[in-house]
Amino acid sequence: MDGFVGWIERLLLQNWRRVALGIVSVLLFIAIWWTYSAYLHAEWPFGGTPSGAAEYVPYPDDVLSAFVDSFVKPDPANGLYMTDNIASSLERILFGFVIAFAVAVPAGLLMGRLWKADAVGKPIVELFRPIPPLAWIPIFLIVFGITWGPIAIVFLGIFFPILINTTFGASNVDPVLVDAAKTLGARRSDVFLKVILPYTIPYLMTGIKVGFGIGWMCIVAAEMLGSVGGGVGYYIFSSSGLGRYEFMYAGMLVIGLLSALTTGLAGLVERRFYRWMGMK
Amino acid sequence: MDKKVILAVAVAAIVVVGIASAALLLNRGGNGGAVSYLAFAPKDMKAALATDQVDAYIAWEPYVSDSVVGHVGEVLLWSEEIMSGHPCCVVLLSNSFAAGTDGHELSLRFVKAHIEATKWMVDALEAGSGTNYTKLVDMAVEFTQRNSTVISAAFQHLEFRYIMDSAFTSALEQFTEMYVELNMTTTEDLTDRGYTSVEDFVDSYVNTTYIEQAATVLPSATILNPDSPIRLGYLLGDLHQMAQVVALNTEVLGTGKSLFQEYGLNVQKATGAPFANGGAEMTAFAGGLVDIGYLGAPPAILRHLNEAIGATIIAQANVEGSGLVVAVGSGITSLEGLVNKTVAVPGPPPESSIQFLLLKIALEREGLELKVKT
Repeated sequence: MDGFVGWIERLLLQNWRRVALGIVSVLLFIAIWWTYSAYLHAEWPFGGTPSGAAEYVPYPDDVLSAFVDSFVKPDPANGLYMTDNIASSLERILFGFVIAFAVAVPAGLLMGRLWKADAVGKPIVELFRPIPPLAWIPIFLIVFGITWGPIAIVFLGIFFPILINTTFGASNVDPVLVDAAKTLGARRSDVFLKVILPYTIPYLMTGIKVGFGIGWMCIVAAEMLGSVGGGVGYYIFSSSGLGRYEFMYAGMLVIGLLSALTTGLAGLVERRFYRWMGMK
Repeated sequence: MDKKVILAVAVAAIVVVGIASAALLLNRGGNGGAVSYLAFAPKDMKAALATDQVDAYIAWEPYVSDSVVGHVGEVLLWSEEIMSGHPCCVVLLSNSFAAGTDGHELSLRFVKAHIEATKWMVDALEAGSGTNYTKLVDMAVEFTQRNSTVISAAFQHLEFRYIMDSAFTSALEQFTEMYVELNMTTTEDLTDRGYTSVEDFVDSYVNTTYIEQAATVLPSATILNPDSPIRLGYLLGDLHQMAQVVALNTEVLGTGKSLFQEYGLNVQKATGAPFANGGAEMTAFAGGLVDIGYLGAPPAILRHLNEAIGATIIAQANVEGSGLVVAVGSGITSLEGLVNKTVAVPGPPPESSIQFLLLKIALEREGLELKVKT
């Protein structure tokens, strides 16, 4: 924890210009949003008749109060708090990630190092990679069930970035390094563990970070139907379906924050890992 | 530390965490004596029941009879047993369309065609056989993509009705009050939309003048709107909305013209139609994509109040026609038997469907609670 606080402190001290610019950027975004909303609502400084789209673009402060409400008041439709939704979604992301990691890393290493594995895996990967997770919803839900179906959708989102980055990393190991290790008497397992694996880790970490982002992008699709215990994606879809748009935006904000958090944590682990391995 | 050891520890940690959380995930408890519900698409409910994903489901026809005929499910409760003559689908008119060029006349003619189509269906179903009955079943088979056995069974539990009587308005009042009670809409929303009470809202939202004036509409030799068709909204394979299928069919009258054409109308399906559920159709109404649409009354109420979507209910499409289905051999013979079990409800969001409200009414009558599955 101390390391985390220290990291935040260093981040703020060393990068205060960056942080300041970031804040300015967010404030500017909110100002544009507020202006557009005021325009649609035909309120100060604009006039005239409100647009039919006004309900769909609530003011930032309405979204903020919906955001707070979603944590302190139960959802009128289903009695869940935002914390319940977050717990359900995090669980899906975590499981999706663990399974994706467990499958994609070995598969990626194999495909990156062995041409036969690549020849076998590549057509399947290229065939399935572009299919939107949304298309799988009814099938996964019935075949894998209401617990694992939504996890399988998130898995798809996380799996491919990890697999592709790992494959790329493993196939791009400098042959000189491998030859050098062999010349020094390294066994195949040594070459793998001490040369190929460490070389692949930065690529793998990039895959994980991208994967988390796409995993969160899939959460609405994953939780659209049969979503046990709700979920933030379910919350967004449900709020929109009930015409409670400020709550829908609050759910989007939660996803944005959660995604930043998981990607940030992955980045933190990455830095720790590099230091630990003496890479940086 | 040797890197191999680190790696082994890391792998072991991931495996342990994975197994522990899987055990946790699979051992979720019940729902504290309540009946749980989950959102499902009606088309997937039969399969969800057959694969034990859910213990029961409540849906509209033909998705009830589909399971019964397929020996997957049996009906625990028909919706008419929950609320006799309950409203279901309605015909909703966009206010901006009604206010446009020829809007009133076009809407009036539409209602006339809707009434004639409904009467034709009622007569065909009363006959129970013959040319028109067969025609109706064939149209329904094509529209719902279910076989004729399923369709014939489904027709027995729904009634096509266009009249909007006091039972209809008082049921809409009850639904609106339930939504206010659930906090899904508020009295402030009602006030914001210019209504003084729930009764006042239903009174304004339901407009019976089209049905009253429809008697004066006569067949027309020319099409009133050849270049700007009425954009029709309806739901995917919803048997309740057969009136629009019948009114569009050119074989019903035997003159080569459809009922819509008979009354001088050019009617085309709206962009995005058929919609997956009423919520999606209301979004299309809000976006100005639909002029007149068939959908369930609850989403029409809720979305109008929550978003000020300018529309009016101008006719009923059907009453009843939903059912609560349990798996064959499940041993569930009463609502009590659903405690700690999961019921699939059409959604998302499930709470805006009529089936959710009916299930809630039925359970509350027995002193049982309905909670989202956790």
